[in-house]
Amino acid sequence: MSNDVTSGATAHLDLPTDDVHVSATTPRRSGLRWLLLAAGLVVALALPWFIYPPIAMDIACWALFAISLDILLGYCGLLSFGHAAFWGGSAYCTGLVAVHYGVPFPVAVLAGMLFAMLIAVPIGYLSVRATGIYFAMVTLAFAQMIYFIANQWRDVTGGENGLQAVPKSFFGIELVETESFYFYYAALPMILLGMWAAWRIVHSPFGRVLVAIRDNAPRARALGYDVETYKVVAFVLSAGLAGLAGGLFAISHGFVSLQEVNWTTSGKVVLMAVLGGIGTLWGGVVGAGFIVVLEDYMASSGFEGIGIVTGSVFVVVVLLFRRGIWGTLAHHLGRRRQAGTRD
Amino acid sequence: MKRKAAVSAAVLSAGALLLSACGQGGPGSDGGAISDDKLVLAVLNDQSGVYKDLSGPNSVKAVEMAIADFEEKHGDDAVTSEIEVVSADHQNEPDVANTKAQELYDRELADVILDVPTSSAALAVANQAKTKQKLFINVGAATTELTGEQCNKYTFHWAYDTYMLANGTGAAVTKEGGKNWQIIYPDYAFGQDMENSFTAAVEAAGGTVGGTIPTPFPNDNFATFLTKAAAKNPDVIGTMQAGGDLVNLVKQFNEAGLADKGIELAVGLMFITDIHSLGVEQFAGTSFTDAWYWNMDEESRAWADRFLEETGTRPSFAHAANYSAATQYLEAVQRAGTDDADAVVGELEGLEVDDVFLRNGEIRAEDHRVIHDAYLARVKSPEDVTEDWDYEEIVTTIPAEEAFRPVEESGCSM
Repeated sequence: MSNDVTSGATAHLDLPTDDVHVSATTPRRSGLRWLLLAAGLVVALALPWFIYPPIAMDIACWALFAISLDILLGYCGLLSFGHAAFWGGSAYCTGLVAVHYGVPFPVAVLAGMLFAMLIAVPIGYLSVRATGIYFAMVTLAFAQMIYFIANQWRDVTGGENGLQAVPKSFFGIELVETESFYFYYAALPMILLGMWAAWRIVHSPFGRVLVAIRDNAPRARALGYDVETYKVVAFVLSAGLAGLAGGLFAISHGFVSLQEVNWTTSGKVVLMAVLGGIGTLWGGVVGAGFIVVLEDYMASSGFEGIGIVTGSVFVVVVLLFRRGIWGTLAHHLGRRRQAGTRD
Repeated sequence: MKRKAAVSAAVLSAGALLLSACGQGGPGSDGGAISDDKLVLAVLNDQSGVYKDLSGPNSVKAVEMAIADFEEKHGDDAVTSEIEVVSADHQNEPDVANTKAQELYDRELADVILDVPTSSAALAVANQAKTKQKLFINVGAATTELTGEQCNKYTFHWAYDTYMLANGTGAAVTKEGGKNWQIIYPDYAFGQDMENSFTAAVEAAGGTVGGTIPTPFPNDNFATFLTKAAAKNPDVIGTMQAGGDLVNLVKQFNEAGLADKGIELAVGLMFITDIHSLGVEQFAGTSFTDAWYWNMDEESRAWADRFLEETGTRPSFAHAANYSAATQYLEAVQRAGTDDADAVVGELEGLEVDDVFLRNGEIRAEDHRVIHDAYLARVKSPEDVTEDWDYEEIVTTIPAEEAFRPVEESGCSM
């Protein structure tokens, strides 16, 4: 790497999130992007052939969850430490709708997603006024409130025993309802749709404004943008995607546990997003895949220190690859390519 | 052009994959008496966290002992010579337990899952057992829901539950003269269940519960709650705390010198490993209900000696119960001549059985609660301890039919 053409070849700053700026692309680059997308799609479709299907579904759900967090963290510069509220809130709502009304699971998940967006409105409205660590703490506080409600409202949520026997109703197609392999393919379109929505959000003019606010909020305000409203909208959209992921997770597992709204879940998704690389969207997918597979492998291996391993990996990545796994990869590829085209 | 080509390539490959996916059938089945030509016993429990000592890896050892004994007993007549143990760590997280249970049934071809402490994890696994129509014998969890409203045909509950704990300690201590109670409990599902059950048991035995005091969970400082309870001058303070909270509460109970004021401490749920970790002097004189104690008679002691050789430690009741559950499962398969889940359930239901763990045991057909004699135990004073792990004295034996919740109260319909 050392003799690479790096200096001055690019105007990018050494920000972990520089991928955001490269939207106006050359045809060549767009070709590569489509190739990448096709490769990603093939991996998504092939996943349950190589990985135990319920684990594959977990990866897909966590990936979308990490992406939803990345919209806030990578593109608005807001570290939400309470995203479990939306993931878990939706999981409970989805589970309750599925248990009590027996509707096909996409409908239940949609209900859960709407619920997540609904609770995100007041939470977002009250927390976007704060920034940095204060924003993280306020979101954490709200998430803990949701946690205590879920814990105490035992008649509805089952308390810490969780909400059991959530059905996977799907228009009476028995294969999908009983075999996790087929369920994966039934649920995947919703995940992909969510990912596409995330991509659209950050690459729209709206997304550009978010980046502008992230980089220099007073300037964005001076240009006439209503900074707070933009942040609230981004917050609600992010919560919606987190809710979509959480709802599918609940259906896939067939039950909802208190763990979904616990702060450790918020922490885990931040870990995934940072590990994969923030401000890249793809990073969330990579981080989620990595963590879910690692945890699954270690739970079976009989090794005791699961936390030690994930913690060490996190420290190493943050110290050596500040852009995360995907971010570092994309950064080096980007530089190469750019250097190539300029020459 | 390139873009178009890439898109069509993606669509094509996606289509191809989906098509081939449709060709893949469901899980394979064969006609043999033993599915996949082997019996697989899976132990799913906490291999790394707070419940590691009371069950954990040593329960896997106990199941291995059961298999060795089974093979020795039946020799060439055994229904199969291929018996395996697999284990997984659920980290006390219901999500992990849920996924691992599916994986054990589907990928590891487990015929039965054993143990599973933590109520929420156990309920999740019970649901998987019902869906997959494979056996689940719970040992480590306390919730009565497993044999109550959430019971199912493939789930059995082997060792203990909240009703048995409360009923044992509450009734027995009251009958011994501890009429006036104060109850301190952690304010979450387990604690609330225990508080309700204890109050009912104490009142049924002719005692009174003067007050119940909820505490946060988890919690370190119990001084105010203990002072409040002691101010009412009760005969007994009952604590429903467990694990680390229990250890803190007992320390503070001793520091406040409440035992010297004539107040007895009764504990809802305690494992011998708790006594071992805090030291017998801290718990001396405490009453609690035990499902089994390694030194309670010759038969138990003989087994505990073998366990000590295998593992270097004495067994908790969960270890013995896992051994018992694995043994009775294997014997049921032997009698049925097949590992077909329905046939094995048929063999187990209504079975009256005695083994190293189960005394006067019966596997109730109605709710799959396994009932057996339970024991009111008291922690010895340090000067009475004659050897390592010699911590308990059995005060009374609670007959099986009185120890557990009556069938008619279970609310179970299979």
